[in-house]
Amino acid sequence: MRGSWRRYGEGPWPWLAAGSVALSLLMLLALLLLLATRGLGHFWPAEVAVVTPHAGSPFAGIAVREEASPGDTRRERLYFTANRDLEGGRWRWIELGEIARIDYPAELVMMERSRWGDLVGRLVALEGEGESHVGEAAWPALQARLKALERLRDERNRLRDEVVMPLVRRLEAVDSDEARAALVAANGRIRELQAAMGGATLIVESADGRRVEQPLEEVLRAWRPNAMTLSDRVVAWGEGVWRFLSEGPRAANSAGGVWPAIFGTMLMVLLMSLVVTPFGVLAAIYLNEVAHQGVLTRIVRIGVRNLAGVPSIVFGVFGLGLFVHGIGGSLDEWFFSERLPSPTFGTGGLLWSSLTLALLTLPVVIVATEEGLTRVPDHQREGALALGATRMEMLTRVVLPMTLPAMLTGMILAVARAAGEVAPLMLVGVAKLASRVPVDGDFPYLHLERKFMHLGYHVYDTAFHGDDVQAAMPLAFATALLLVLVILMLNLTAIFLRHHLRLRHEVPSRV
Amino acid sequence: MIDSRPPPSLHLRRRRLRDRLATLLITAGGIGVLVSVLAIGVFLALEVIPLFLGADAIDTDALWRPQPVEGAAEPRHRWRPESLGEASPAHYGMLPLAWGTLKAALWALLFAVPLALGAAVHSALYMPRRLRARLKPTLELMEAMPGVVVGFIAGLLLAPWVELHLTATLLLVVTLPLGVVLAVGVRGLLPSPLGRRLPLGWAGVWLMPWLLMVGAITLWLAPWLEAALVGGDLRGWLAATLGLDYAARNAMIVGVAMGFAVIPGIYALAEDALNGVPDSLAEGAQALGATRWQTLWRVVLPAASPGILSAVMIGAGRAVGETMIVLMASGNTALMTLSPLEGLRSLSATIAIELPEAAVGGTHYRLLFLAALVLFLFTFLVNTLAEVMRTRLRRRYQRREGGA
Repeated sequence: MRGSWRRYGEGPWPWLAAGSVALSLLMLLALLLLLATRGLGHFWPAEVAVVTPHAGSPFAGIAVREEASPGDTRRERLYFTANRDLEGGRWRWIELGEIARIDYPAELVMMERSRWGDLVGRLVALEGEGESHVGEAAWPALQARLKALERLRDERNRLRDEVVMPLVRRLEAVDSDEARAALVAANGRIRELQAAMGGATLIVESADGRRVEQPLEEVLRAWRPNAMTLSDRVVAWGEGVWRFLSEGPRAANSAGGVWPAIFGTMLMVLLMSLVVTPFGVLAAIYLNEVAHQGVLTRIVRIGVRNLAGVPSIVFGVFGLGLFVHGIGGSLDEWFFSERLPSPTFGTGGLLWSSLTLALLTLPVVIVATEEGLTRVPDHQREGALALGATRMEMLTRVVLPMTLPAMLTGMILAVARAAGEVAPLMLVGVAKLASRVPVDGDFPYLHLERKFMHLGYHVYDTAFHGDDVQAAMPLAFATALLLVLVILMLNLTAIFLRHHLRLRHEVPSRV
Repeated sequence: MIDSRPPPSLHLRRRRLRDRLATLLITAGGIGVLVSVLAIGVFLALEVIPLFLGADAIDTDALWRPQPVEGAAEPRHRWRPESLGEASPAHYGMLPLAWGTLKAALWALLFAVPLALGAAVHSALYMPRRLRARLKPTLELMEAMPGVVVGFIAGLLLAPWVELHLTATLLLVVTLPLGVVLAVGVRGLLPSPLGRRLPLGWAGVWLMPWLLMVGAITLWLAPWLEAALVGGDLRGWLAATLGLDYAARNAMIVGVAMGFAVIPGIYALAEDALNGVPDSLAEGAQALGATRWQTLWRVVLPAASPGILSAVMIGAGRAVGETMIVLMASGNTALMTLSPLEGLRSLSATIAIELPEAAVGGTHYRLLFLAALVLFLFTFLVNTLAEVMRTRLRRRYQRREGGA
């Protein structure tokens, strides 16, 4: 055995070691590819098939995947059939052998509704306001009506969020006739808009011939997937991605977008970096520039390492105990006692989450800044001191400017770490669905005590707590992809900065 | 000359004062970090003390010993924090949770340590410098993958897939290493210019498509092998002959997912340790005629072993504390088996699930704080030990290089 291996060098072990590199890279690649395809594919307007089985009535649906049925050689295909109000469910498995015919009729219409999810079928007529469009004429009429509806809906939502809600909150604080009148007027306008939106009805025929009367005001969008050209699809895909990024979630997080989660995540990491950067930098300067390199610095360094190794959930428990129930509870007793027993700061919120994550990411900033400080050549310091600068002047004028990229790297890495951390947030302030974002037009504009939504928690919640996990999966994939993209971008920036920094300092020290 | 220096001007004095103030501030910042680390431990301990002292103290034996459980003849370990009426009190046996934590970490390390150490050895000894400069940041990106995403993929995609393809998954453990060995054989048979295009240093890259192919072939062969060896039903066979139950979300899935998460950390530290060994040692061995692998095995690895051990320990600390992956991929059933095919419930996942609902200050609440304290102490111990080992190693080689 030994002799035969000699021909190939040093035996199989080095190759197996190389294989483990290959396998690790493969796993990473597979994960990224999976996220990219599943996450982005969700927005592609897929073709809708009308499947006619050998026995039973036809149905319309989008093919999702195929699987071998367990303990059997036959294969089954899963279709997303929508029409939950008609069928009771949205999914249908069918064995491939049972399918007699598959068509892709161009006139099939798919609709996104505010209730019951999607609807798929043939458009029979659009009725309402004394008009009736039948057959082919119904499609252009529907599109025109939907555009008008969207304008009305936007105006109503704007009125409700920007006029009515602030007025209601003002009236809660002080009663004034003027505000009362404004509220009545706004409510009247909303009622008018509501009336203008109602009235029209769509008559849709499902693939098996049943007719549904669909009130038009519940329809959000309508498209004919089989009649779309490639460019239509690309445009529709782009619109889908934009809606995902800019809208709020609907239907218990199983549809709609993730804008509040993006906003919450960004705001939280922003607050966190405001807290963590100064402390991290101070600690790093202490370790590297001020303290004697003795027992104490060694212990502090071990402490920093330890802080990096403490499980994130422990930070969450600490945050819950100290910040939320300890400090938050006392704050409530001192300043918000009129609202007790409903807590203000004594419950999870934005502030406590940022502080908890700041503690969690402290070692990241310290380690990165320290690395930057050690790379500043000693002759720079000695030069500054020789010219009569005090230590502080030497630090602020010479050393720290050179360390700036390193501090930035540390901050970016801390933000990347914090953006992906979910476990502690589950204890100190993340919400499944925050009714109000933490920033709005009410004084003091930034509401640190409010709960917020978070991308990572959104993934966990949609994937594990929905009533139809299968339907929420694409959304969870898209959210996960977004989160991973944000974190990868941050990390790549940090890697680039660090590389840049190394190059900058290596050249003069060699000269 | 020095004596004739003029008395410090007001300006200079102000500068010195500012200097002293800033130094004070910085020192406070540095000490503050240390204090905050200690504060976590002290605070958790303070919250836990009422469990053991005072009026509300509980029976500590109940935490670690089997307790009588209704519906079972023998006392058992059970974690069920909510009481279901008079006849069925709450059970606070923490042993199943500790067991689940260690079991998850064990399977994760079984998966991650060979891969991470293999990767570290390969990149430290065989890889060209240019490729290594690319590999390190790539694996850093792998470390940055949020646990919630890894857990999501593991729990909702990997677990159902493995349930359908259990035979293929188990076969992969054998076929992938065999595939690598086979690749070396095939490469030896290739005409030499082609074989030279596939050097060992780049094997980490060119083995990727090969391994993908091996995996595909394994998948394709698995149903036949399953039919031939165990009569077409591996899970039934496992249950009948070995008495192993199968749960869709099990320790194997957790091991793979958490292994994925801890590989980059172990890799980075182990590679540092291998690179920290002075070149003179390896050069001496090679000059005496040792191959690179012999050099590694007899010289470099023993020299770097404390560093590598500390890398594994830090990986273990990470695996013990990881929450989201275990929470999403393990099924969260508090069992006390070692079987990789059954679920588990870890301390960290229990905290994440139950603490938001526990009554503040109650026994359940304090027990979950105790769980956090246990996790904290465990990782504190492991990390301190690993750090001490690492610094000692570094200083040893610094001295040696300095003396040379």
